Amino acid sequence: MISAEQRELLITLFLNLRRSGFDLGVGELLAAVSALEGGWGAGDTESLGRTARLLWCHSPDELREFETVWDLSAGRTPAAKPPVQSAEPNPDTGEGHQEQLDAPPEEHPDAPKVDAALTPFPVNAPELPAAAGAADLQAYWPVSRRFMLYAWRYLRRPVADGPADVMDIRATVEQAARQGFYLSPVYRRRERNDAHLILLIDQGGSMAPFHHLTRDLTQTALDESSIQRVEVFYFHDVWSSDLYLDLYRTLLVPAEAALRECSNDSSVLVVSDGGAARGRREPERARDTARFLHRLKHHTSLLAWLNPMPVDRWADTSAQTVSHLVPMFQMDPDGFSSAVDVLRGQPFQHYR
Amino acid sequence: MSATREHLFTGGGNPAADRHPDAPAEPEPYVASEGLIEAVNLAIYLRRPLLLEGEAGSGKSRLARAIAYELGLPLYSWHVRSTSRAQDGLYSYDAIRRLHDVHLLELTRQRSGDAGAVQGSDPSDPTGYRKLGPLGRAFHVGDRPAVVLIDEIDKADVDFPNDLLAVLDDPWMFEIPETGEEVRASEQKPIVIITSNKEKGNLPAPFLRRCLYYFVEFPDDEERLRLIVEKHYETRDSPPSPGLVSAAGRRFLEVRREGLLHKKPGTSEFLDWVEALRGFGGGGERVPPDKGDIPYPEVLFKLRADWQRYVLGK
Repeated sequence: MISAEQRELLITLFLNLRRSGFDLGVGELLAAVSALEGGWGAGDTESLGRTARLLWCHSPDELREFETVWDLSAGRTPAAKPPVQSAEPNPDTGEGHQEQLDAPPEEHPDAPKVDAALTPFPVNAPELPAAAGAADLQAYWPVSRRFMLYAWRYLRRPVADGPADVMDIRATVEQAARQGFYLSPVYRRRERNDAHLILLIDQGGSMAPFHHLTRDLTQTALDESSIQRVEVFYFHDVWSSDLYLDLYRTLLVPAEAALRECSNDSSVLVVSDGGAARGRREPERARDTARFLHRLKHHTSLLAWLNPMPVDRWADTSAQTVSHLVPMFQMDPDGFSSAVDVLRGQPFQHYR
Repeated sequence: MSATREHLFTGGGNPAADRHPDAPAEPEPYVASEGLIEAVNLAIYLRRPLLLEGEAGSGKSRLARAIAYELGLPLYSWHVRSTSRAQDGLYSYDAIRRLHDVHLLELTRQRSGDAGAVQGSDPSDPTGYRKLGPLGRAFHVGDRPAVVLIDEIDKADVDFPNDLLAVLDDPWMFEIPETGEEVRASEQKPIVIITSNKEKGNLPAPFLRRCLYYFVEFPDDEERLRLIVEKHYETRDSPPSPGLVSAAGRRFLEVRREGLLHKKPGTSEFLDWVEALRGFGGGGERVPPDKGDIPYPEVLFKLRADWQRYVLGK
């Protein structure tokens, strides 16, 4: 049997893990309960943690994340306790608190005394990208690689121009029935995916936190999708008349030359925060972008924009302006699917 | 509680006396950490698949054989390839041979007028033409659980793990439409060990949720490397001398820890290296020096950049 405390700890841990993004269901909770009842991890708190780790973590990243949540749930770190508790004097520990409050802030005897006149002027913190802390961004993975792979599958333009070596059984039977005798099988031409995808990727600067996403995007499109032709070009912040061929923006190519292959059947996907990461409206940037989009629309109408910043951060930025000119989607599974829909020529329902 | 812990893996390698005919006959030298042993036993208890990840050559696939050997259970391995489908692990059905047998039967009848003299299978019985795969066979064992190794699951198509999900969970059954059979796991559900190298990104979330997960770490200290070598040579003649093992372990770990390698050699490469140092060339053991040239670098370095750094000294 498991004790009420263990059950409570398990449920607290389960809820906390779910809150921090673990994909766990009731089935997993029940599995842990039955493991505890079978004697795994029933001994002490640590072994309960080990069992939960085995059952509920599925990658090295999750294992790391688990440690934080576990410390919090098992109540081992005093800092993790909500501050409200300490505000109410506890009859048991009230004295201790009082002592702490009364004691003057301790100063290290060896600490050098600083002359007030010599302290520097207060410095304003430099403007930071509006996104949350670095730790949050590392775990920011709105679209998984697997999902990208699935989504690319929908981008196809089958063209039957391969060798005629696919037997059409239905047509063969039909022909034999019509002629009254069988002469030879009917062959069709082999189909291939003739889709042409051009990726225009904003690289560097405010896009730096999202490089892991754009890298996954280009890798899946180039290497693991069935799209026949994929071309990748890079730019920085705003399109000028030139695009870059490589990730590090060293090989220049004129934009017109880059888009020479772009016909009305080609799909163009732009990946950029459009100024939303900096959280500013830059009329000049919006104007340049609009000019380029206009030029792009001469080539093709299969044009979509993926924005790695969530949609509620677009307000009052250049991205908002641009989003009126082109179907712009935030980079999550829904947005990515919708972008692929636009790229394959499906009219996007909700766009204006 | 003791009844449910009938199959308890200890990592000790002492084989069970009561053995299934399909259980591995050769002992599998394996050094399992305590965490891994606990993971295996929990997987056996809950009958959930155990997913192992870790560096290449850290002994992920070997674990299944070690479990099967120690517990005397049958082992069915399924090596997944890029063309594998979930059905391959369950059964395969040879429709062409059945058609061939029907024609053969007719031909023989016409020739001799005797229906009984046909060689081969009886085409009126479709079950003679289906062959069970590793999972299908594991479902049929009956009196004890089988160990199923699904090796390198990430090699297959992205949909592959999802297709397996329905079979590795309640109701633990699948149908064979060709024969109308329904294969159901016996009371003793199989113990499933899955390995992955994460070559094509993460496995799908519903599949992961079902699995227990353990990350096999490289044994990053000399003592554990020594243990592994000792265990490896337990059943062979002429083990390497302790001096060779400790010198090799020291040098190997030093190169690994430098962090300059593009592809780190794993446990299997280390064992190959020790074997080469022990007996290759006929001139007795060759103890690697602490500094200078590394003997038999071709066993350890598999990328041009690593080769250039450690062999050519660039």
